[in-house]
Amino acid sequence: MDEFLEKIKENIIEGRVDSQDEGFDGTKAGQPGVTELVQEAVNKKISPVDILTKCLNPGMEEVGSLYEKGEYLTPDMLASAECVKAAMKLLDPLLVNENIQNKGKIIMATVQGDLHDIGKNIVSTLLRGSGYEVLDLGTDVSVGKIVETVKETKARLVGLSALLTSTMGRMEDVVEKLKKEGLRKNVKVLIGGAPISMEFADKIGADFYCTDAFDAINKLEA
Amino acid sequence: MPRGLKIKKQSFLTEAECRIVHEGSCRLLEETGVELTNPKALNLFKEGGAIQKGNRIKMSRDMINRAVEKTAKNFIMKAKDPENELILDTKSPRVHFGTGGQALYVLRKENGMFKKKEAVTQDLVDILRICEKLDHVDFITRPVEPDVPDEEMDLEKTRLFLAHTTKHMNLANLIIEDCLPDIIEKVGDRSSISFISCVAVSPLNLVSPTVEKFIRIVSEDIPVAISSCPQAGLTAPLSEVGEIIQVNAEILSAVVLANLVRPGAKVLYRGIPITSNLHLDVSPRWCQPESIRRIALISDITYFYGIPCCGTAAVSDEKKPTSQALSEKVLGWIFEAASGAQFINSALGMLEQVMTVSPEQYIIDDMGISLVKKYLSMHPGADLKETGREVVFKALETFDVKTTREMEKEIANRIEFIYSPKEEYSPDYINNQVDHIVNAVSSAKSSSKFLKDSRKGLRKGWLYMGKRIEGAMNLKEVLKTKDGILGMRLRGT
Repeated sequence: MDEFLEKIKENIIEGRVDSQDEGFDGTKAGQPGVTELVQEAVNKKISPVDILTKCLNPGMEEVGSLYEKGEYLTPDMLASAECVKAAMKLLDPLLVNENIQNKGKIIMATVQGDLHDIGKNIVSTLLRGSGYEVLDLGTDVSVGKIVETVKETKARLVGLSALLTSTMGRMEDVVEKLKKEGLRKNVKVLIGGAPISMEFADKIGADFYCTDAFDAINKLEA
Repeated sequence: MPRGLKIKKQSFLTEAECRIVHEGSCRLLEETGVELTNPKALNLFKEGGAIQKGNRIKMSRDMINRAVEKTAKNFIMKAKDPENELILDTKSPRVHFGTGGQALYVLRKENGMFKKKEAVTQDLVDILRICEKLDHVDFITRPVEPDVPDEEMDLEKTRLFLAHTTKHMNLANLIIEDCLPDIIEKVGDRSSISFISCVAVSPLNLVSPTVEKFIRIVSEDIPVAISSCPQAGLTAPLSEVGEIIQVNAEILSAVVLANLVRPGAKVLYRGIPITSNLHLDVSPRWCQPESIRRIALISDITYFYGIPCCGTAAVSDEKKPTSQALSEKVLGWIFEAASGAQFINSALGMLEQVMTVSPEQYIIDDMGISLVKKYLSMHPGADLKETGREVVFKALETFDVKTTREMEKEIANRIEFIYSPKEEYSPDYINNQVDHIVNAVSSAKSSSKFLKDSRKGLRKGWLYMGKRIEGAMNLKEVLKTKDGILGMRLRGT
């Protein structure tokens, strides 16, 4: 069984979501990837906790370490995070009764008037891969919708993205609305996007300015 | 004597290679088409023979070829002072350098230190005044917006341009479509203004409401640059070949639309196939050697069609005037000018990519462009391996930066990278890239697909990794020139 779990871990490190992925050396198309292997593990009644703790978590730790050493680059991290996402889709229903806790809920949104979602999607994927429960509200999300979702889900983290200079002001509106609704002290607000800066984060009273997805993870885990 | 530098164009792609890129782009537009939901644009396309499938519009090769044939191949971009008119014509090319935009901040030297502030209307006025005086600024693209409400922006910008420049006015974006008749009335001669339309959003999407503004501008017979600026590895394949096929398809789709609105439309081809920093934060890489190369290749494609090229150059990551910024900018200008782009958004005065402008940097850049022009005039058609290196070091010397052997090696490496093809332009490879784009576009998250698929190219070294050029610049003359233009009000104490 350990050999089988090791295979899942290796595929997570290589970032092969499914059998269509040809892998680094271009020779692995047709071989089972993480989706097929985890499904097989579930069919074999292997404990979902074992899959999580022996494959997913150490796999992502290894990927993080390779990234820190400069051997892995951003797309490699993303590919592995997508593997974890695919695996979790299969494992989540089985883990409900196992008392496994994630690192917390985070609401992600591109603010109102802005349709750019690439940055937000990368951050969302990597946060999911790192064990956060991500509630992605999409793009062009109104201040009201974000604050309502905070109320409904009791999320303590909100990540806001904007690419346009004309829309970055909406981030301040979210912070203000959270204050007005008496929610601000329980919620950390992270902001990011091309026109955003530390000065802007300080000006609007956001908790963190994140330069990229890894910065977001580091700041959340600091 | 019209403005602009007469050049002997240098080509990176052969005509046969341009033709197979065209074939690949046509295949994309025939088989996959572009995403489009705007009813006005959809009607125009359908009346012209295109086929709607869901939220995509597909067009035939004949339709594309007819539109390219009809598109204006030469036109004059007028200016308040007739001596500042620009003639755009690929058959007798003249290269024109202009500013770029839009920045949010202004960096000024005050009390001996550079200080960054949010840009306001007065900054736009100052920049217009500086650019009016600088000899090598041929046209002005709106560098910063005036700080007025959106509904007043278009007319206020026009008023300020008219008051402070006699050069061609590229107003860049039209904020409110219905302001266009008032803008035309203010400027009098509509060919003294032009716009840039970011109508194509990668991958393969003509977006509302930009598309509606684009239709309006074209219908008024005002020159407009069709812009497509994907980031390889995020919104296009990391592959140079794949990215160029995609940019070309995106721009061709808008060329077709423009000619459906007004046959013989005056459009400029503004393809900016840059890459992404996939090593770190996926931010755009504008000035790195692989992007300089890709942007120069686009110029070859525009010559293949005979459509005037709106080029892009010199968008540096540096946050203040540095030797690194100057070295990047000079290489960008020389390759883009030698490739024959006729209307180059030259990032004059710009720093921190497109976030900041600096009065001092405008003057530095004007001096840099004067050297580029001088060398290209003195050595028409010369090998840029030697000329490029010479111009970079001459520019650095102008600001008392001493050349070292490491610097020479780094600049030589950058130029070598720009000249070296990493992929083949063969029909099979083109088809392979088209398939790759189609797969990504049809997946739920195309950026994720492009990112994952970039892993092989990254390991083949498709993104240049080099060293910075270090060396303190002496800006004494620059500050003197700035004070001369703007007077005491801006002088640091």
